[in-house]
Amino acid sequence: MTDLNESCGQLCRELKAAWAIAKKDIRIYYLKPNIIVSGMLFPLFMFLAFAIGRDAPPTMLVPGLIAITILFSASSIEPVSIPIERRTKTFDRLLSAPVSLHSVVLGESMSGFLYSTGIALVPLSAGIILFSTPIVQPLALIGGVLLTSFCFATMGTLFAAYPTESPGDIMSMLNLVRLPLIFVSGVFIPVNALPQIGQIAVLFSPLTYGNDLIRAGFEGTTHFNPLMDVLAICVFILLFQVAANHLYRKFNE
Amino acid sequence: MTVHAIEATAISKKFGNLLALSDVNFSVADGETFGFLGPNGAGKTTTIRILTGITAPTAGTATIFGHDIVRETIAARRQMGIVHEISNVYDDLSAWHNILFASELYNVPRSAGERRGKELLELFGLWERKDDRVKVFSKGMKRRLTLAMGLVNDPRLLFLDEPTSGLDVQSNLIIRDVIRELTGQGVTVFLTTHNIEEANLICDRVAIINRGQIAAIDSPERLKKTIQSVQSVEVAFDPSSPKLLEHLRELPLVSEVRKEGDKFRLITEDPSGVIENVTTYAREHHTRIISMTTIGPSLEDVFIRLTGLMIRVKGVKAID
Ligand SMILES: Nc1ncnc2c1ncn2[C@@H]1O[C@H](COP(=O)(O)OP(=O)(O)OP(=O)(O)O)[C@@H](O)[C@H]1O
Ligand SMILES: [Mg+2]
Repeated sequence: MTDLNESCGQLCRELKAAWAIAKKDIRIYYLKPNIIVSGMLFPLFMFLAFAIGRDAPPTMLVPGLIAITILFSASSIEPVSIPIERRTKTFDRLLSAPVSLHSVVLGESMSGFLYSTGIALVPLSAGIILFSTPIVQPLALIGGVLLTSFCFATMGTLFAAYPTESPGDIMSMLNLVRLPLIFVSGVFIPVNALPQIGQIAVLFSPLTYGNDLIRAGFEGTTHFNPLMDVLAICVFILLFQVAANHLYRKFNE
Repeated sequence: MTVHAIEATAISKKFGNLLALSDVNFSVADGETFGFLGPNGAGKTTTIRILTGITAPTAGTATIFGHDIVRETIAARRQMGIVHEISNVYDDLSAWHNILFASELYNVPRSAGERRGKELLELFGLWERKDDRVKVFSKGMKRRLTLAMGLVNDPRLLFLDEPTSGLDVQSNLIIRDVIRELTGQGVTVFLTTHNIEEANLICDRVAIINRGQIAAIDSPERLKKTIQSVQSVEVAFDPSSPKLLEHLRELPLVSEVRKEGDKFRLITEDPSGVIENVTTYAREHHTRIISMTTIGPSLEDVFIRLTGLMIRVKGVKAID
């Protein structure tokens, strides 16, 4: 008998286990109040703080709102779920399963990725319905949303590697990185308008490239070459994934 | 050559300056039920965490059915089921989703996972509650669910870290029955416990571990034989008086006296001599002997001897 499972090699097993982990997170954490606060309300207030009183056009504001919504929502699941699971020792289940640590990291990131892609639809539809912002390059927009979500979900998993049982510890470390990122990514201040040092700093922020793609969806033009945007985000994802894998192993010694 | 289910060679584990395990060597044959018996902090859980690849040993190696746990972690883990010391179930999921998750994590095909999941929940008396969130389960129910989750992939080797600690008699019996049934099917079981009676009842062989070192490994019966010198006479008097303890301690041939409920236990190398002395004592002091029996050494005696927990005599009860 050659059913799908028997012809399924180790790679296939790894992906299935990763998906099982993601599904479990979706069932448990998507409706937790602290995740909703940090994933949805936080970016909204950040946005209002910037947008109110400035007469920037919606085509300028909507992509920015989408970008920071993704930044906050994608990295809000794992920093909460993993410390909780360390405390309840359910994390040991994942660490002792017959799958590689890479799949555990991937599975965890997947739940953040799906969450943030879903949440990103809120500012997106708000932009379309309330301000009738036109979408000129749907492919850049979709690619930007997906890649940025995945990138920051993996970043969330990376930060959650810090061996604590308290989500607050990881959240405060994460905010130390997330908040400055908003200013050096061309989200509200275009890259061109930044001082010299800022123009260099933006190169090290994954949000720069994600924001560039999402913005292109509405404005039609990118600051960098779109291929370079895609490539840069992929490099960040890979970097976060490898670093996360390394740290989970190290902290478990 | 038959391959061992577990082969641990010269395992040591350091946590900073603390030597949690020191040169631990043992092997477990395929199909054997092996008990790891030791007091709190002896290193039982640490050993399981190393054998299941959750943590790496500082030195030494371990193989699971021939697969090195550090280098071939995944191949080694595919053979095993693990029941962790703490009932680590997902409180926010139902029992059913918990068990399905466990089967997906171990790559059990969906239909087989559902069938096995149902069987196991029935076996552990949880089927009626399968849709309840585990949050509302009692401690014993969570423990049984943890066991069910550890069995969902039909492991060849089952790790049980204190499977029955803190459970009532009924839950205990269910769990022991299941273990017996599994060993009947040829499953290898590695269990840790500080319940000596449990180890005595279900283990083929027992390792006694203390402060990270193995003090002895053998079958329960053979372990008892090694301390044949520790025999004892159990005696009850009527009327009983507190003074008796003092007097019995002074009898010739008696090396130690423990008061156990309304009885006294006199440790000796010469039970028949002690029986004579006790009889004489009773006649001289006008007290009546209600019962008197000689008993061989128990696994508890071996345990106390090997782990040096003699403080018990001074009134500190060091083992369950
Ligand atoms: N992650 C850790 N960091 C530091 N020390 C640890 C760690 N894990 C275990 N230890 C120490 O290692 C020793 C052995 O602990 P272990 O949990 O293996 O004991 P145990 O035999 O399972 O005890 P118990 O019967 O209480 O469960 C203890 O002294 C413990 O404090
Ligand atoms: Mg333990």
